[in-house]
Amino acid sequence: MIDAQGLYKQFGTVQAVVDLELQVPQGSVYALLGPNGAGKSTTINMLTTLLRPDRGTIVIAGHDAVRDSDAVRRVIGVTFQDLVLDRDLSGREALDFYGRLYGLDATTRTQRTKELLTLVELNDAADRLTGTYSGGMRRRLELARCLMMQPQILFLDEPTQGLDPQHRAMIWDYLRMLQQQHGMTMLITTHAMDEAELLAQQVGIIDHGRMVASGTPADLIGQFGSDMVRISADFPADYQPNWQHDTWVRNWSIQNGELRVGVDHGSRRIATILDGLRADNLQVTDMNMTRPSLGDVFLQTTGRALRDEVKS
Amino acid sequence: MMNATYAIWLRHMRKFMRNREELGGLLIQPILWVALFGVGMGRMLPGQSNYLSFMLPGILALTALGGAAGGGMMFLDERLRGILREYMVAPIPRLSILLGHMCATVSKAFFQIIIVVIVGVLAGAQLGGSVVAWLGTLVALVCFTLGFAGIALGVAARSKSIMGYHGMIFLFNLPLLFASNALYPLDKAPVWMQWLAKANPATWFIDVARSSAQSGDMSANLLNLGLLLCFAVAGTWLALRRFQAVTAN
Repeated sequence: MIDAQGLYKQFGTVQAVVDLELQVPQGSVYALLGPNGAGKSTTINMLTTLLRPDRGTIVIAGHDAVRDSDAVRRVIGVTFQDLVLDRDLSGREALDFYGRLYGLDATTRTQRTKELLTLVELNDAADRLTGTYSGGMRRRLELARCLMMQPQILFLDEPTQGLDPQHRAMIWDYLRMLQQQHGMTMLITTHAMDEAELLAQQVGIIDHGRMVASGTPADLIGQFGSDMVRISADFPADYQPNWQHDTWVRNWSIQNGELRVGVDHGSRRIATILDGLRADNLQVTDMNMTRPSLGDVFLQTTGRALRDEVKS
Repeated sequence: MMNATYAIWLRHMRKFMRNREELGGLLIQPILWVALFGVGMGRMLPGQSNYLSFMLPGILALTALGGAAGGGMMFLDERLRGILREYMVAPIPRLSILLGHMCATVSKAFFQIIIVVIVGVLAGAQLGGSVVAWLGTLVALVCFTLGFAGIALGVAARSKSIMGYHGMIFLFNLPLLFASNALYPLDKAPVWMQWLAKANPATWFIDVARSSAQSGDMSANLLNLGLLLCFAVAGTWLALRRFQAVTAN
C-alpha cells in the first residue's frame, strides 16, 4: 500500500533522509519513531506529496507520488503535527470547506459532516468556532477532517501530541476502530512508545535520516531477550565486560553511565554480571531488572533517551 | 480547478464578513483617505479646479495596493500557521490555491472601491464618462489589483516572518504611488521621474481612470489596458513560480 525505496533528501549540506526503505501492507498500521530532527517530518512530507525527494521512489496505492501526485492525494488523508485548523471557522464549516475543496456535492458534504461529527463526538460543539476548542477537540476534528474524503491511507503526524490521557485513549480507540472495521492503512509518527506498541503492527526507528531498526514491536523487543538488567556505575570509556561474548547475552550497551544487558534469564544472570563488574573494580550504585520495552529498543538504536528529547 | 478556487474564495469571504475589525477597518480607510487627503490637499492647491476629481483615481490605486498587500498578508498568515498545507495535500492545482486568494483579494478591494467612489462623489468629485469607459476602468482596476496581489503572494510565498513581509511590501506601496501621476501631474516632475512613472502600472491605471472620468473615450486607453492585462498575468506567473519553488509541484 505504501512502498518507499531509496528515499533521499538533502537540505543544503544537511542530509535529512538517507536511503530510506519503508513498506506498509494494506490494512496495517506502521509507526515511525525517532528523535526530533531525525527525519520523520521530512519522510512524511515526501510520502504525502508535499516534498519532492531528491532520489528514490514512492508508490502509494499503486500511484507514483512524484509523477502522479494528484492520484496519491485523492487516496490519502493527512493530519499534521501542528494543528492547521482555521480558528475563524466552526467545526462544521471546517469539514464542509474541506469537502468543497475536493468538489464534493452539498448533499454528500452535509451527510458526511454529520456522520464524522458523530464519530468524533463533536456534535455539541459543531457550530462553535474551532478557536474555542480544547486541544483534544481539535485533534478529533482534524481526524474527522482527514476522513472526510474517505481515504484509503491515513498519515498521522503525532496524532496524540500534547493531549491528556483521556483524549489519548479516545484517539487510540478511533484509530483501532478505523483499522479493524474499515481496514484502514495508517502511518503514524510518534514519540510515545506505548502508542506505537498499542497501535502498530510494524515499527520503524529512524535517526539521522536513516532507518536504524524496523520490524514488529515483538521482534524488536525480542532482540533483548526476556529480561533487561540495568546497572549504574562509573564505567570507564570503552568499557568491555568480560561476559560480553557469552551465549546468554542478547544485547548490551552503556549509555549515560548505565549498563543495559538483555539476557535470557534475568534472575539467573544477574550474579554473573555483578561478578564481572566487581572483578573490574567497578562500584555499582544502582541496579534493577525489567522486561525490555520498545523504549529500550529506541534507546539502544538512537542512543538517546526519549525523555531528554521530549524536553528539548 | 474552478471548484477549488471558488472554495478558497468562499472561505475567505465568509471569514471576512465575520471579522468586524477587518470589515470596519477596510470601510473606514477609504473614507479617511478621501476626506483627509483629498479634501485637505484640494484646499492647499487653489490652482487646481477640482483636486479631488484629479486624485480620486490615485486613491483607488492606493486602495487596490493596500488590498493586494492585505491579500499577501492573508496568504502568509495561512502559510505560517500551516493552514496552507491542508490545500497542499488536496488533489487541486497549485494555481487554484493562488487564484482563490487573489480573487478574495480583488473582492475585498472591490468592496472598498465602491465606497471610495461613493464617498468621493459625495465629497464633490466630478465624474463623467460612459458606461463602457467605466467598465474599462473596472477591468483596469481588477488587472492592477491582480498584478500586485500576485507580487504580494510571491513575496508571501517565501517570507519567513510577518515583519519580513511588511518590509518588502512597503517598498511597493506608497513609493509606487509617489512615482506615478496619482497625486500630482507629471509635467513638472524631472525627466527621470517621468520615465519611472511611465513604467509604473499605477500610472497606467490612473490614466485609464482619469480619462474615462473626463472624456469617456476608451480608445486612447487600449495600450494601457493591454499593459495592465500583461501585468496581471505577469503577477500571477510570478506568484506561481515562487510558490512552486517552495512546494513539490
